[in-house]
Amino acid sequence: MSSSTPLARRASALGPGLALLCVLLALVAFLSVTLGSRSIGLPEVLRALASLDADASINSTVTLELRVPRTLLGILVGAALGVAGAILQGVTRNPLADTGIMGVNSGAAVCVVFAITVLGVRGAGLYVWFAFAGAIGALVLVYAIASLGREGATPVKLALAGAAVTAGLASVTTGIVMTNVDALNELRFWQVGSLAGRYAPILTGVAPFLILGLIVSLGFGRTLNGLALGEDMARGLGQRVTRTRAVAFAVVAVLAGAATAACGPIVFVGLVVPHVARFICGPDYRWILPYSMLLAPIVLLLADVLGRVVAAPDELQVGVVLGVLGAPAFVGIVRYGRMSEA
Amino acid sequence: MRAWRPVLAFAALSVVLAGCGSADTAGTTGTAASAAASAAPAGPWSFTSGNGEVVKADKTPTRIIAHAGEAAALMSFGIKPVGIYADESVKTDANLKDLDLTGIEILGQEWGKIDVEKAAALRPDLIVGDWWPVEKAYSGLEEGVDEKSKKLTELAPIVGVAQGKSIVDLAKGYEDLAKSLGADVDAPEIAAHKKRFDEALAAFKEAVAAKPGLTAAAMLAADDKVYVANPAYAPELLDFQSWGLKVVNPDSPDPGFPYWENLSWENADKYQPDLILYDGRSYKPTSNAEWGKKQPTWFKIKAAKAGAVVAWPAYWLHTYGDFADELDNLTTAIKAADPNIGD
Repeated sequence: MSSSTPLARRASALGPGLALLCVLLALVAFLSVTLGSRSIGLPEVLRALASLDADASINSTVTLELRVPRTLLGILVGAALGVAGAILQGVTRNPLADTGIMGVNSGAAVCVVFAITVLGVRGAGLYVWFAFAGAIGALVLVYAIASLGREGATPVKLALAGAAVTAGLASVTTGIVMTNVDALNELRFWQVGSLAGRYAPILTGVAPFLILGLIVSLGFGRTLNGLALGEDMARGLGQRVTRTRAVAFAVVAVLAGAATAACGPIVFVGLVVPHVARFICGPDYRWILPYSMLLAPIVLLLADVLGRVVAAPDELQVGVVLGVLGAPAFVGIVRYGRMSEA
Repeated sequence: MRAWRPVLAFAALSVVLAGCGSADTAGTTGTAASAAASAAPAGPWSFTSGNGEVVKADKTPTRIIAHAGEAAALMSFGIKPVGIYADESVKTDANLKDLDLTGIEILGQEWGKIDVEKAAALRPDLIVGDWWPVEKAYSGLEEGVDEKSKKLTELAPIVGVAQGKSIVDLAKGYEDLAKSLGADVDAPEIAAHKKRFDEALAAFKEAVAAKPGLTAAAMLAADDKVYVANPAYAPELLDFQSWGLKVVNPDSPDPGFPYWENLSWENADKYQPDLILYDGRSYKPTSNAEWGKKQPTWFKIKAAKAGAVVAWPAYWLHTYGDFADELDNLTTAIKAADPNIGD
């Protein structure tokens, strides 16, 4: 640990950087409330925000009941996905780890389809809870499969179990959807991650889980730093590796599960943002986690605002925008950045 | 021994012919076909299909396989098909849900999937499906269906009426087809459907004329968006327009899928009709209240807030009878609507 001097020097710049990101996030949130597929003048937005009277006019309704919850949800979900991605990459020591390849999305989808076909449930507000259960169930399954055997849930076994569970659940979903047009139509909306059409009930439903998960996750920095040195070294430093992994997975399950439940599968944020954070901060997870937590919602909200503005009076789902923008961004990071091995 | 030898020979022959997909009808004993067969003129038979092609046969077809709505149309004229293929469960298909389908083989209940082997066993001599001029294909045989389903056309000639600008034309087309197949379209119980339609239409026109300022928009709400239908691609909406109802033409339909204009929920109030024609395929009496509760801007459409929402028979009508029912329903809603509630 002879690198304490550069780390300390770095910290003096990283602290203000974090403050800057907070300001940026506030700015993007402001854009997200003032811009959209409906053009509402700035004075009218401000008047609505000041009066808090959603029924005054349709512009007030749109501002207060559509855009404000949408923006808050974007911030929470973005932060959750960024942090969940960073933790997963750290715990599994796999730079490609994100919640998608750990079975979260496929688990959520399978449960939504089950709810539609078997239980006859309809409506985004109800899918949330099935998706949440499915996401957590899939992560637990991945972890349980990877834990089989003497050496426990090693990074390689986690990656393999994740891929296997994802493929298995996805084929079940496809099988059901191919023979049930009704389920396909309902799932079509859910399958592309979107912030549209989710209002106060969904926000207040998932917010407690997301906020709790985010607070707990910030305490993981030191542990992840230890794991990054390798399992034996971490053990030598006095870490209980198996227990650490299990707790980290539980936190990821809550964060990613609630985020995916609320918005459907949102790609790239959880994968790319931790790499950007690592590029800025270096290998110290005590910085990577808060940076991911702020960078991810900035990216998510910007993509959402873009999707709302370019297609007005229609909207593009944020999942589509992120897919289009995220792929080249990731290529850029691989090509020019130092792709550190988590 | 000598007496039944020709019978055996005939049976063998008919199996061979069926195997070739030939239109052999002499040996049919199917209960479904018998009623129509007795009335059917001997032939030769010909019909000008929706694609302009003239289809001919030496004998008038009696063993018919038809797509769901087309089957309903033929049945409304007393022609009962031997087999039906549908795009969804025959229990939920709007055209079929109230019909007695006993004795009819169901060959498919999902778009793009037809059990051709089962169809071949029915030894059909005619296939009936709508002709879609834009797709240049018959119903169930469009681009994207199972390749195996397309083999249906090898079993027998296929005809259909062209889908286009009017449900009335479509219903009339199937009336002509049924007539050519031997239906007695002037029989009182059959003519009653058309008479009922004529009366329903007169009442509809009268109700519309009484409210010259009334506007309507055909809409569908979904979790992420609101859709406004483009009448140019909805024959029943074009019919309504031709009968005087002012159905909104959306100004920017989705270029890739011009059946609808997509509106984000922020823009749900872009059009302010006096009456909302809600897509009947997903309409429930509770739909309006549910969307009002779920989507903060749904009730910003004044007609929705006022409860002026009625089911619109979207894209499925084929018969005078069904159209009469739907028109009666719409006429009631038009009479109840306030022509000054929208813009």
